Amino acid sequence: MEWTDIIITAIKTAVIYLGMVQVVPIMLIVERRGAALMQDRPGPNRVGPFGLFQPVADVIKMMMKEVTIPRQVNKALYLLGPFLVLFPASLVVAALPFGDFFTVFEKNYPLQVANIDVGVLYILAIGSLGIYGILFGGWASNNKFSLMGAMRSSSQIISYEIPLGLAACSAVLWYGHFNLREMVYTQEGTLMGVLPNWGIFYQPLGFLLFFISAFAETNRLPFDLPETEAELVAGFHTEYGPMDFGTFFMAEYMNMATMSGLMVAMYFGGWHLPWISDATLLQWLGSRNLLAALQVLSVVVKISFFMLVFVWVRWTLPRFRFDQLMRLAWRNLIPLGLINLVITAVIMYFRGAA
Amino acid sequence: MREILFVAFSLFTIGAASGVFLARNPVYSAFSLILSFFGLSGLYLLWGSTFMAMIQILIYTGAIVVLFVFVVMLLNLQVNRENPSNLLTLGISAGAVWFFSLILLRVLTRAIPNKIPEIPTDQLRTISKLLFTRYLWPFEVLSLFLLVMIIAIFAITRTQEIPHGGEQR
Amino acid sequence: MNFPTSLTYWSHFVAVAMFALGLLGFLLRKNTIVVLMCIELMLNAVNLLLIETSMRTNTPDGIILVVFVVTVAAAEVAVGLGIVLNLYRLKGSVNLDHFKSLQG
Repeated sequence: MEWTDIIITAIKTAVIYLGMVQVVPIMLIVERRGAALMQDRPGPNRVGPFGLFQPVADVIKMMMKEVTIPRQVNKALYLLGPFLVLFPASLVVAALPFGDFFTVFEKNYPLQVANIDVGVLYILAIGSLGIYGILFGGWASNNKFSLMGAMRSSSQIISYEIPLGLAACSAVLWYGHFNLREMVYTQEGTLMGVLPNWGIFYQPLGFLLFFISAFAETNRLPFDLPETEAELVAGFHTEYGPMDFGTFFMAEYMNMATMSGLMVAMYFGGWHLPWISDATLLQWLGSRNLLAALQVLSVVVKISFFMLVFVWVRWTLPRFRFDQLMRLAWRNLIPLGLINLVITAVIMYFRGAA
Repeated sequence: MREILFVAFSLFTIGAASGVFLARNPVYSAFSLILSFFGLSGLYLLWGSTFMAMIQILIYTGAIVVLFVFVVMLLNLQVNRENPSNLLTLGISAGAVWFFSLILLRVLTRAIPNKIPEIPTDQLRTISKLLFTRYLWPFEVLSLFLLVMIIAIFAITRTQEIPHGGEQR
Repeated sequence: MNFPTSLTYWSHFVAVAMFALGLLGFLLRKNTIVVLMCIELMLNAVNLLLIETSMRTNTPDGIILVVFVVTVAAAEVAVGLGIVLNLYRLKGSVNLDHFKSLQG
């Protein structure tokens, strides 16, 4: 590894990570304006043109507010809480593939921070760690609402990890790889000449399970039981000050983006454009780097679509009750996941997989 | 570099593991347990077993310790000043265990041949193939075992029946 | 890949130390939940040895054994914690000294 390699890899990592962080301010405004759109009201439109500078104002407000630490908290874990949530949320970005290769000085660099051989497992494993921030933060707040939120969060995330894992298992079985890159490679081209060769057409049930579980894993609205403002004040972050709350918030959006990225890579063809193969595109464009840019754009558009769906669902569906949530996971999603796994295995057997 | 990482992860793991039994508060114990599992997974990575490192994090840290933390928080125990017997007993037993472990170490190091072959590249495929050929029966028995365990847990933790047929979770 | 030759047996040391710590905690702690945690420590010490040996001798059998151990450990923890919850419901404490009714 030469020093140019190291520099280019470092720049690539920084760009990908900072790009993912940009999800937070963008989603801040998209969510508020989207909510306003659905509720037929103007929404924040005062700061800058169309209220576009609203996130800046929000962040400045959060930064300027006084930081208070309540007296009854367990200080060490209370302060650690937000970072225990943000840390895994930032780590999982490393495994997401954003494109094939880009070329600098006649050398190819993959558009991915780390091409981990067990990428799906890595994302599931590290992603499941975010729960500790919620658990310890909620417990350390020494407040019954926080504790309730933390307990709910832990049981919810553990329950929904099972359908998530089962759906991912079926997908892994289908592609024959744990590696996200290899998964994306197999999704090139068309299926029966009409449909793009994407995972969702092979694993529709798996995608549905994954999609539903992703909402629960990221504590988003039909499943945001850990922070129900109607029951628990603000759930696990009741006792937290401005910027700590901001950290939780950031982690939530980054988790959403990662989950969207995982869904894109596993079920929506990753960086591939529908119907067009990469070779044809390369012929048209004539340059590898242009192709790489197009691929990144394709991934970003797909991820944005899922983020919009997250917002859309949030302002459309009412919240579940906790027993309904648990029943959905254990009585509906897990049996469906098992059935999906069995069907996939049977089809694989008769198809004669390698 | 590798050696440094090795030593660092080892010391980290041992330090966190001692935190598990030294901490007064069970929540801190659980936290130390998480850290020590992280150190272990780092060691697995250094040995070249990516799969096991991920499994370690996914199952141990992501599920098992969550259960511990969940129960500790559910019971919300007071931090009782549990004085572990007296200091003399503690010291003697610590020394005894240490001595025992050193002897064990000596025995173990003699038993294993000191040759270092190549690590197989496609380890995951090898494992899964073995799991469904040579180890098929243990694997099936394990699934049965898990089923029994699920039923057992339901039987153990079931609360009193509600008399008037109300819905019960 | 080269293993650090100067530290060939280092992970034996780690595993044994971890096992010793787990055993110590298992014998000395009074909180049932912490005792269960110490059992996990001991299991993991064994796992470390198994994986290390398996990778060193290039036999995947050790790793499969670890997979089994992990599965059994998960079940064991679930059952153990269920029992602890029941005991707490019964006695209002998880201190092992309070569970003496079986002691003749």
